[in-house]
Amino acid sequence: MDRVDINTIRSSIERLNALPTIPNILKKLLKLLENPSTSLNDIGHFISHDPIITTKVLRMINSPIYGFPGRIYSVNQAVILLGLNVVKGLLLSVSVFDLMKKVMVGLWEHSLACAITSRLMAKKKGLKEPEESSIAGLLHDIGKVALLLQFQEYYDSVMNLAEKKGVVIMEAEKEIFGIDHAKAGEWMAEKWSFPKNLIEIIGYHHRPNLSKIFIVETSIVHLADILVRARGFGFAGDNSIPNINDNAWTILGFSGNDIKDILKELEESMDAANELFIE
Amino acid sequence: MPRIPIDMITPGMCLAEPVTNENGLVLINEGTELTETIIEKLKNMNLQSLRIKGESGPSNTKEEMLAALDERFKRVKSKPLMITIKNIIKEHIEELYGSG
Repeated sequence: MDRVDINTIRSSIERLNALPTIPNILKKLLKLLENPSTSLNDIGHFISHDPIITTKVLRMINSPIYGFPGRIYSVNQAVILLGLNVVKGLLLSVSVFDLMKKVMVGLWEHSLACAITSRLMAKKKGLKEPEESSIAGLLHDIGKVALLLQFQEYYDSVMNLAEKKGVVIMEAEKEIFGIDHAKAGEWMAEKWSFPKNLIEIIGYHHRPNLSKIFIVETSIVHLADILVRARGFGFAGDNSIPNINDNAWTILGFSGNDIKDILKELEESMDAANELFIE
Repeated sequence: MPRIPIDMITPGMCLAEPVTNENGLVLINEGTELTETIIEKLKNMNLQSLRIKGESGPSNTKEEMLAALDERFKRVKSKPLMITIKNIIKEHIEELYGSG
């Protein structure tokens, strides 16, 4: 199959929000996020206004993805507790959840496990907002969703190529698209006005050494991705495991026991999370 | 212990953990053999899935898990750090099944 022209890819990804498969509620949300003067109050109002979104937000917030002690019962409480960035990310995850399940079997489970692992690592590193790492873990592969939504046939050949050559999916993506899903995700995240840290993590989660401001956060998602694949949770498009970036490993400085602690907690959380998200 | 979606629960399966209400009060004890009537009630409670005793369900043996791990790492270049990571995961899987 021919390669797709890179400008075509970029413009298709930037026009994603016009696709009929994108739910209306997500379109409204994107409009809201585009506006820099949108306040926490506006977002709280937006959630409360829609009973389905309210239910989904509360279910997600009370899941092991975020790991809050105790139960959060109301959107107001959530909004106050979480702050603007986390609430934005939370809403995006809720909206992207269905899309993710639709485009690739196993991608949701992979992302869920990455979200939990990233949060546990952030906690271990003493980061102030481990919930932001949850969201980054959940959305790091959003570029795959974008490519699959716009170029499904090409993505089929990407997966076949990765399988045939025994390479990781991003190598095959680069061969067919000229870019990988990290770049596609970065374009989508920019266009959709994601918070800055998310844009950087999504764009560099396979090359965390290039990350400029959020190098620890990016390294966390990079390692979480590798551990989750190594453990065998979910499916992210290939059966290989990407190589660890030495610098990311050094920056995080986890011992074998640290990682085993994280994995143990991940196992329990995955049981509970799968129960919540079986539909 | 496999967790089975509620739609796939059939009479005769045995609960591997108690079913509780929101406050943690036990409604149905661990070990209870499920009947049509109980399954109907569980569905009405909006439960999504249950832990079931025995072999029913997609639980893998330790040997299967470790073989799958080898398979996943087959194509990884022999980078020392990747071998470290594989060994950590291997120990983790072994601990999941107890040291025996």
